[in-house]
Amino acid sequence: MAEDTAYDGPILEIDKLSISFFTRLREIPAVMDFSANVMPGEALGLVGESGCGKSTVALGVMQDLGVNGKIVGGTIKFKGRDLSEMSPEELRDIRGSQIAMIYQEPMASLNPAMKIGKQLAEVPVIHEGISEEEAMKRARQVVEDVKLPDPDRILKAYPHQLSGGQQQRIVIAMALMSKPSLLILDEPTTALDVTVEAAIVELVKDLGKKYGTSMLFISHNLGLVLETCDRICVMYSGEAVERGSIEDVFDEMKHPYTQALFRSIPLPGADKNASPLIAIPGNFPLPHERPNGCNFGPRCDYFEAGRCDAGPISMAQVEGNDRHATRCLRFQEIDWSAPPTLADKKEKGVIGDTVLKVDNLKKYYEVAANSMFGGADKKVVKANETISFEARESETLAIVGESGCGKSTLAKVLMGLETATEGQVMLDNLSIESTEIQDRDTRTVSSIQMVFQNPFDTLNPSMTVGRQIIRALEIFKIGNTEAERRVRMLELLDLVKLPREFADRMPRQLSGGQKQRVGIARAFAGGARIVVADEPVSALDVSVQAAVTDLLMEIQRNEKTTLLFISHDLSIVRYLSDRVMVMYLGHVVELGSTDQVFSPPYHPYTEALLSAVPIADTSVEKKHIVLEGDIPSAMNPPSGCPFQTRCRWKSEVPGNLCETEVPPQRKMAAGHEIKCHLADDILAQMDPVIKIAAE
Amino acid sequence: MDPITWTGSLGPFLNPLMLAAIAVFVLGFFAQLVLNFAGVQPGEVQINPDHTLSVARSPNDYALMAMKYAVLLFLACVAVFIVGGIVQPSLEQKGIIGAMGQRFLPVWIAMILIFALSVTFKRRLGLYGKLFDSPIGMVGFFLVMFWMLTAIFAGLVATHGAIDVVSQMRNEVPGSFMPDPDEGEYLVYLLGGDNLGRDVFSRMVFGAREVLKIAPAATLFAFMVGITLGLPAGYFGGKLDTVLTFIANLVLAFPVILLFYLLVTPEIVASGIPTYMAAVLFLFPIIFFVILFNSRFFTQPFTRNIYIFLTVLIGGWLYLGLAWNSDPLGIISMPGNILIVFVSVVFVNSPTVFRIVRGIVLDIKTRDYVAAGQTRGEGPWYIMLWEILPNARGPLIVDFCLRIGYTTILLGTLGFFGLGVSPESPDWGSTINEGRRLLTIYPHPALPPAIALMTMVLGLNLLADGLREESLRD
Repeated sequence: MAEDTAYDGPILEIDKLSISFFTRLREIPAVMDFSANVMPGEALGLVGESGCGKSTVALGVMQDLGVNGKIVGGTIKFKGRDLSEMSPEELRDIRGSQIAMIYQEPMASLNPAMKIGKQLAEVPVIHEGISEEEAMKRARQVVEDVKLPDPDRILKAYPHQLSGGQQQRIVIAMALMSKPSLLILDEPTTALDVTVEAAIVELVKDLGKKYGTSMLFISHNLGLVLETCDRICVMYSGEAVERGSIEDVFDEMKHPYTQALFRSIPLPGADKNASPLIAIPGNFPLPHERPNGCNFGPRCDYFEAGRCDAGPISMAQVEGNDRHATRCLRFQEIDWSAPPTLADKKEKGVIGDTVLKVDNLKKYYEVAANSMFGGADKKVVKANETISFEARESETLAIVGESGCGKSTLAKVLMGLETATEGQVMLDNLSIESTEIQDRDTRTVSSIQMVFQNPFDTLNPSMTVGRQIIRALEIFKIGNTEAERRVRMLELLDLVKLPREFADRMPRQLSGGQKQRVGIARAFAGGARIVVADEPVSALDVSVQAAVTDLLMEIQRNEKTTLLFISHDLSIVRYLSDRVMVMYLGHVVELGSTDQVFSPPYHPYTEALLSAVPIADTSVEKKHIVLEGDIPSAMNPPSGCPFQTRCRWKSEVPGNLCETEVPPQRKMAAGHEIKCHLADDILAQMDPVIKIAAE
Repeated sequence: MDPITWTGSLGPFLNPLMLAAIAVFVLGFFAQLVLNFAGVQPGEVQINPDHTLSVARSPNDYALMAMKYAVLLFLACVAVFIVGGIVQPSLEQKGIIGAMGQRFLPVWIAMILIFALSVTFKRRLGLYGKLFDSPIGMVGFFLVMFWMLTAIFAGLVATHGAIDVVSQMRNEVPGSFMPDPDEGEYLVYLLGGDNLGRDVFSRMVFGAREVLKIAPAATLFAFMVGITLGLPAGYFGGKLDTVLTFIANLVLAFPVILLFYLLVTPEIVASGIPTYMAAVLFLFPIIFFVILFNSRFFTQPFTRNIYIFLTVLIGGWLYLGLAWNSDPLGIISMPGNILIVFVSVVFVNSPTVFRIVRGIVLDIKTRDYVAAGQTRGEGPWYIMLWEILPNARGPLIVDFCLRIGYTTILLGTLGFFGLGVSPESPDWGSTINEGRRLLTIYPHPALPPAIALMTMVLGLNLLADGLREESLRD
């Protein structure tokens, strides 16, 4: 197109943009005084916690704010033209052809009733009016570009026949169909597993280079932004607080919020005892309760009354850096290199006797083809295969793996929601693997409790917080009267550092972190000795994650609890666990202390997993290992080693050993076990995945 | 004496106004339609630099505004008629509308009280309070409350008895004077007389009482049955679900009217089938409450025993009286024909409720708080009744409103076919049926109950709409 080549200014210019939503009660400002530029071929990362307005900016660019949303100030210029002055027809023409957007949930972006090929071909047919045949050809080309295997089959498939990772690739392909100048990605990998996420990120980066597309990348994950973007803009409570190039912002941050954010995420080197994470105090302000002056003021360590809360603060340029600006009045006075005032160092808990012993545990599910009439065609899903491990008192054992690896099934067997097919689970000296929860005595039930993943789901929305904890106390037969239980409930609220008034609140009045604390209080109601924490912080914002993690650690220290920490986030696992167990397709592929697992020799899967985790530190060098394909289905697992279909070391093993035999559990060092066929000398040659560059 | 007019002394002034309002409304409607086809958009909301909003009105908006004010004018005229009816002394001056407005005085007073209180405290009343933010919900609530209050105050509102027959008043037009009224008797038949010489107005008012006695109670029973069966079907799934869903489909597939005909056939009544059905269906509420309290309080046996004892005592007493007509105290009883109506309505409605509940349970049982209940060793019934059911209340309340409407229509249909209720009964369905025969000559006996039925169901539907809309917000 002629006009494309003629224009060489910024692709997107956002100038002093303010967006508000209007409700019956009031105007809610969602974005205030936001400015940003995206140059051709540049990728801008937009980072912030949930509710900070980053998605609203994206919707503003798309001019799709709904009935209640209005742009109340500023301009958005796309290739020099003001978007708000365009007619609906012009906008429709630009959307999808020049600006494309990729959303978080791939399934929601695809039409389930249309074949992939037809959906892809629709884009150029509508926008460029080319013939169906030509469009199909181009669709095939793009599907190849996004590195999907067997493009012809994919084009004829319906969306539900593809895996989540493949669906997201198709969404990306659709966005690229008409070669847009600007691609908006709104948390494109949040719903995906880490190794799939790594592959998608790699793909987006490559395609950006290949097509020269500018990108607006919205994420809450600083590590991901570091890997994908050239420039970054940090948002807090509707305002951009700091923007600049990745290096400037990551290494020479000039805003207290950016600094606090980096201090609250577990980077390599953080340690739960020696240098614990520093949570940001206080809560995110509600849009209509923002303070005067600096929005971050009430939570800021450098707050100066009378100055920071005097009036609106505008962005100030940081001298010496390229387009680096910060919304802080005091950035020139603050000593940015001063080490954080450490919270008092914690004593490491003494690891006691074995509490839980799992030996050779197997859990198979039988899936009949037709549930009503049975039928002969029964399939077996091997959710857990020969799992053996021990957990000791006041120890944190992390269970790591992607979705479908069997970690949730393991949790269910431990809890008694399912019974084991084979093997043993010993709690103290009592074997519990085949006792369902109804048949367990109160003591056993209250000993093993669980903390759940989703804070918005973990509490019953129609019961008060206090009532829910009291119910747990009733079930665990604690306290003889209602009054005694109430006292105990208030003590539990103290334990998780929530104000006692919360007892009479409804869950919807609590924030995500507070709900998760109530969930923890409920789990500890019966004096739990083993707590299975199923991704307890993964749905929380980073600043809250640190606080909840620390709370768990503190309770563990005081109560000598054994914590089974299920997670896919290796940064946090490295930070808080004593031992790590890596699972893949129902197998334990590696088990050892945290140091052993995070340094070579690795199991090939651990190696890939480690390299896939984005780390928000510019001084870290990482090996890039991208796993091909998806996790095989547990219904139809590969023969031999479960990981052989995606393993990059397979060629190092002589013969077809990997395809025929399940590798034995090998002892590498004291307490370090790896399930792999690789010879010792090859394992010994492995390089560490994560290197911290010497400064 | 000539019958009194519809509008009385105010008519000459207000009638032209109302006609004008209707004309403006119709004109506005067509103008708006034409403008829409012509592509004129409604005005956009503009934002001023000082963060205030202003609307640039287009002709389209003016048409809509005209329609709105026409409706308001019309309603204002009606209000003036009613007030005129209350303050003016003689029936001739009041007119029929005014006189009816005056008879409904207790209803108006109660209505104003309810609205005033509700609007004042709407922020503290949860979902009910939010209803007063939605105009549609308010209109629905008004219509429903109007008939509810009419049913409650029927004795005060009605001018005559429901089955008082005055033979000279047969098929007399609305506003006709009684031939020789007794002392204190109301002088006119406001909406005329039916073919037996009974007062149509009074029968409509008493009909509200008949309908509202059965419809909500029957719907409530249907909900009890549907919930008690739908919860385990959704929660446990598997064979139980398959069997229960199959039975529900079977009932739904059976023609409703045929079922009613079968149920009221004397042979079948004599065989006792309706009684046995009632015996089974009426057992569900007792089972429901016993499980409800047991699952909640089993950790405190004393409290549990009190609750269950009370439930069984009161429930059992009602049960004996209603289902078996053998109340040992002789207070509670239900006439046989009403029982049949009740049973059939419950029987027909519960499968639909069952399916709704089952669907919601399938969704909610995947939540983490359900898993949390399971992992602390809660029984399945506690989880179903105390963790899942309260969170399913939104859709259930909406469906409850809609279903009372269906039940009301169903009762009307039953009455229309002369099934179930006694022939004397003033319920709306039977009245419409009676009026039907002479409809071409005398439309006035059939129309009032039909309009009553329509407004009541309309009100319930609007109420459900309003509730749904408001429960989805914020």
